[in-house]
Amino acid sequence: MSHTGRMHGTLRVSGALVILGLLVEAVCLLWSRPIAFVIFAGLGGFLIAAGVLLFLYSLVFVAGREEEAVAADKNEAG
Amino acid sequence: MPTSAIIVLILFSALLAAVLVLRPTITAHPSGKVLAFGVLFFLPLFCLTAGMNNEMERSKSTSFCLSCHIMEPYGKSLRVDDPSYLAAAHFQNHRVPADQACYTCHTNYAMFGTFKAKLGGLRHLYVHYLKTEPHPQDIQLHEPYNNRECLHCHLGARSFEQGAVHNADPDTLPAVKANKLSCISSGCHDVVHNVGALDKVKLWTEGKP
Repeated sequence: MSHTGRMHGTLRVSGALVILGLLVEAVCLLWSRPIAFVIFAGLGGFLIAAGVLLFLYSLVFVAGREEEAVAADKNEAG
Repeated sequence: MPTSAIIVLILFSALLAAVLVLRPTITAHPSGKVLAFGVLFFLPLFCLTAGMNNEMERSKSTSFCLSCHIMEPYGKSLRVDDPSYLAAAHFQNHRVPADQACYTCHTNYAMFGTFKAKLGGLRHLYVHYLKTEPHPQDIQLHEPYNNRECLHCHLGARSFEQGAVHNADPDTLPAVKANKLSCISSGCHDVVHNVGALDKVKLWTEGKP
C-alpha cells in the first residue's frame, strides 16, 4: 500500500472511531439515566480519544513517512 | 450550553467526519487538511468537554438520583409532612436547592468532593448491575456523616449559633463544630430519611396547604 493510501486508510479509521464516539455521546445525552453517564464517559470518551490519537499518530508518523518517500523519489529523479 | 445545542453540534461534527471518511482525498488540499484537523481533533474534543460538563451538571439533579428504582423511598422521604424529618424539612423549605437536594447534602465539601461523589456513584452502579442490591432501608453511608456538610450552610447562621438547645451546654457548639458531636446521630436531628417508616407517615403534596 502507498503512503498516501495508508494515510487515507488511517484517516478513515480515525474518522469512523470519532463518528461512533460522537453517536454514543449523542444517545447518552438523550438518555437521562445514571448508566448513560458511565457509557458517555467510558465508551464515548474512549472511542473519541482513540480516534483523535490515531489521527495525531497518522499526522506524525504516516504523513512524515509520506514526505520522506516523496523527498527520496525527488532525489532519485534528480 | 443546552443539551439540544450540544446534540446539534455532535451531529454536525459526525456529518463532517463522515465526509472525511468517504472522501479522504480532500486532505490533499490545504483546506482539506484544516478541515481534517477541525473534524478529527478540535470538534470531537470540544463536543466531549461540553457533553461531559452537561452530564456532570445533570448528575447533580434530584431527578437523576431518584431515577434509580432503589432510591424511590428516599425521594418519597423528601415529601414527608413532618418537620422532624430532616431531609424533608430541608427539601420542602428550600434550605437546599430542591432540584439538587441529594447532591447538596451528600457531597463532601472538601477539595475533591464532587469527584468523590461521582466515584461513589460508580460504586452504586457496580452494586446495582453486578451485585445484589440491599433493601432501601438497609442502605448505609460509606462513612459517618461529617458535620462539615451541615456547617457548610449553618455555620454563622443565627438559628444555629444562638439556638437555645445548641447553647444549653457551653461544650455543645464547639463539639459540633469540631465534628466530635454528630448533628444527626447524637439524638438531636436523628430522623433523616427514615425510609423504613414511610408507610406510617403523611406525605406533603406541593401546592396544597
